[in-house]
Amino acid sequence: MKLKKVMALTLAGVMALSAVGCGNTGSETADSAAAAKTETKADSTTQVATEATPTAQTAPTDIKALNDGKLVIWTLANDLISFGERFQEQTGVEVETVVIEPANYPTKVQTALLGGETEPDIIVGEPQMLEDFYDAGFFEDLNQFGAQDYADQIVDYVWDVGQDADGIQRAISYQITPAGFYYRRDIAKEVFGTDDPTEVGKLFADYTTILETAQTLKDAGYRIFASDAETQYFSGDSAWVVDGVLNVAQARYDYMDLCIELYKQDLTAYASQWATPWYMAMAGEVPLLTAETQWGTDDMNIWDAESFNAATEGYETTQVFAYGLPAWGVLTMRDNVGETSGSWGVCAGPAYGFGGGTYIGVSSQSERKETAWEFVKFCTLNEETANWWIEFSEGDTVSLIPALEAHKDDANEVYGGQKLYAFWLEQAKGIDYSKVTRYDKAIGDAWGNAISAIKTGEKTKEEAVAEFYDVVESTYPEITVNR
Amino acid sequence: MNNIGFHIKKSILYIFLIGLGVVCLVPFLLMMVNATRSGVEITRSFTLIPSSHLKENWDTVFEFFDLFRGMWNSLLVAIPATLLSVYFSALTAYGLAMYKFKGNKLIFTMILVFMMIPGQLGLIGFYNLCTKLHLVNSYIPLIIPAIASPGTVFFLRQYVMSALPPALIEAARIDGAGELYSFHRIVLPIMSPALATMGIMGFIGNWNSYLTPMIILNKNDKFTLPVMMATMRASTDIQSEQGAIYLAVAISIIPILLVFCFFSKYIISSISAGSVKE
Repeated sequence: MKLKKVMALTLAGVMALSAVGCGNTGSETADSAAAAKTETKADSTTQVATEATPTAQTAPTDIKALNDGKLVIWTLANDLISFGERFQEQTGVEVETVVIEPANYPTKVQTALLGGETEPDIIVGEPQMLEDFYDAGFFEDLNQFGAQDYADQIVDYVWDVGQDADGIQRAISYQITPAGFYYRRDIAKEVFGTDDPTEVGKLFADYTTILETAQTLKDAGYRIFASDAETQYFSGDSAWVVDGVLNVAQARYDYMDLCIELYKQDLTAYASQWATPWYMAMAGEVPLLTAETQWGTDDMNIWDAESFNAATEGYETTQVFAYGLPAWGVLTMRDNVGETSGSWGVCAGPAYGFGGGTYIGVSSQSERKETAWEFVKFCTLNEETANWWIEFSEGDTVSLIPALEAHKDDANEVYGGQKLYAFWLEQAKGIDYSKVTRYDKAIGDAWGNAISAIKTGEKTKEEAVAEFYDVVESTYPEITVNR
Repeated sequence: MNNIGFHIKKSILYIFLIGLGVVCLVPFLLMMVNATRSGVEITRSFTLIPSSHLKENWDTVFEFFDLFRGMWNSLLVAIPATLLSVYFSALTAYGLAMYKFKGNKLIFTMILVFMMIPGQLGLIGFYNLCTKLHLVNSYIPLIIPAIASPGTVFFLRQYVMSALPPALIEAARIDGAGELYSFHRIVLPIMSPALATMGIMGFIGNWNSYLTPMIILNKNDKFTLPVMMATMRASTDIQSEQGAIYLAVAISIIPILLVFCFFSKYIISSISAGSVKE
């Protein structure tokens, strides 16, 4: 009897509590809705859209009337916030952008979409996430909206990255990220007698030539690279996995030898990537470090400018010839070149490569797919947006060919007036996406570890390569490994 | 002679404890100091001398999100979740420890078994359930499940069995007290040290909880503090924001410190209070 009473009371309590909880959320939503309304009152077009009256659409653009009045974007970088704001201005569609930490973005999207969430209309992905997202069916088929009509307007490799295994278009990126070598024109002229990008490109034509170039530069008192990671975007022109079999091409071994030689013969400035001396070398003189001091010492912190300068006073200095970075490196360099601004150039590397990029697609469970497709189109296929983005991001490289063509004569003063958009377009054309597999990141990292182990003398080449095979075999049992 | 030995022992003990205290406090102090330094200074070295970048860090944090909104959201989740978990766990633990009924052992074993299952396993199913119940983007799925916290029940049951003599409840029954009345008036006060301990642990757990809120909440203005702070890592230039991250973390632990100060008083005061004369 007593127990029953207790139970009944408890249950009643729970119900009362959850009712209170519901009440709270209800009123809160109402509040925020009201707030949203007052915010948008100033802009009449926006208000029309918020109240979801499609016929009264008066947006002054060629974007067709949208029924939904709202769009939710889940993204992992801040770029889409700006795109979203501009879309809202132009169409009156209320855009809500949620930024999620990149490390947890796949978890969040997977849980939500597998859990039946219809909320995000736009989801994005970086190249290494995309294949899993395609397989899980998270991205809507864009062909049904007529995406293929635009096939020749987007740089080929970006178009290919956006396709699943069956060749169906699922996502499109607004930027291209082909890699190239950024080099010092003044040094090129002094040492090699030319600063022409095509001619300098020949100095990087293959791995053996790079070694020769490096030696020549060292003899002249310069260093070819700041760090030995500069060649990573050009690390091989073959696929890691072909038909389920691990494929270690000769070029991979050549690349390995290149890294080892660069290290053993002190051909780089040992300025670790993204550390202070690495940035410093962009502006000219940099203290010459050695293999032992490349990660800093007790009284020298390579991640900090002041301490680094103080600790390396009186060190022998050198200047660095080249950096290997994707197209977004244009922005990194611009911010760091200082007095060497204008004396830089960009040329092609020994292979085609690319790094990163945000791909935008429509969630397959979205209830506002038409609007979402309009947004994808707005970000990636709209020339006006592309031009705006080039200006707004101060030099990011877009993927829309007409916009690249329109800007192909833009001379970039940091790079001695070189016409970079034309160059990147050319580089992007060479990228063969069929050589990219979902295993690239993990296998590439394992190969990189093997290289580090060999060059520091920690392991012999045989040991390191054997361990590389072991790692691949145990990480991906589905891959056949022929040693 | 004996006295000197005692003093030496005491001194060693105190030096040891002071050392421990320093070890515990230095990270907190460093965090506070780092909150006032710029990203570049932080990567340089560590020092206990505050720098002058507090204002910049503050601006950076608030440029990203409204920190106080996040704190308020976190409080909205953590306080009810902690209270519910402590109260209902106490109720369950008392029931399991004091009443003899069929299946008591079985229920307790089941609770032990459930303790071992990691919650992350059912994440997708949980999300699915929340969608069906229209509870995504609300705090209810973060609060209500706290009622069933096997770990707390287990701890409190052991405590009740050791600290609460059945004679006390029997005496209350003879005097005519109802079961719930005696639970509220007699059992809860006796359990308060254990409740405070579990309350502190629960509050810290709920306050810092990241995975479930990250999955369940989809609106920027609903994000709890840990989820908000994680979005800071989505920005491109991590180094320049180190100081700001420290500041955000420093501010975010203030409620935890407050809760700890408040509850730890109960732990100490109740441990010494006796209830039955032997």
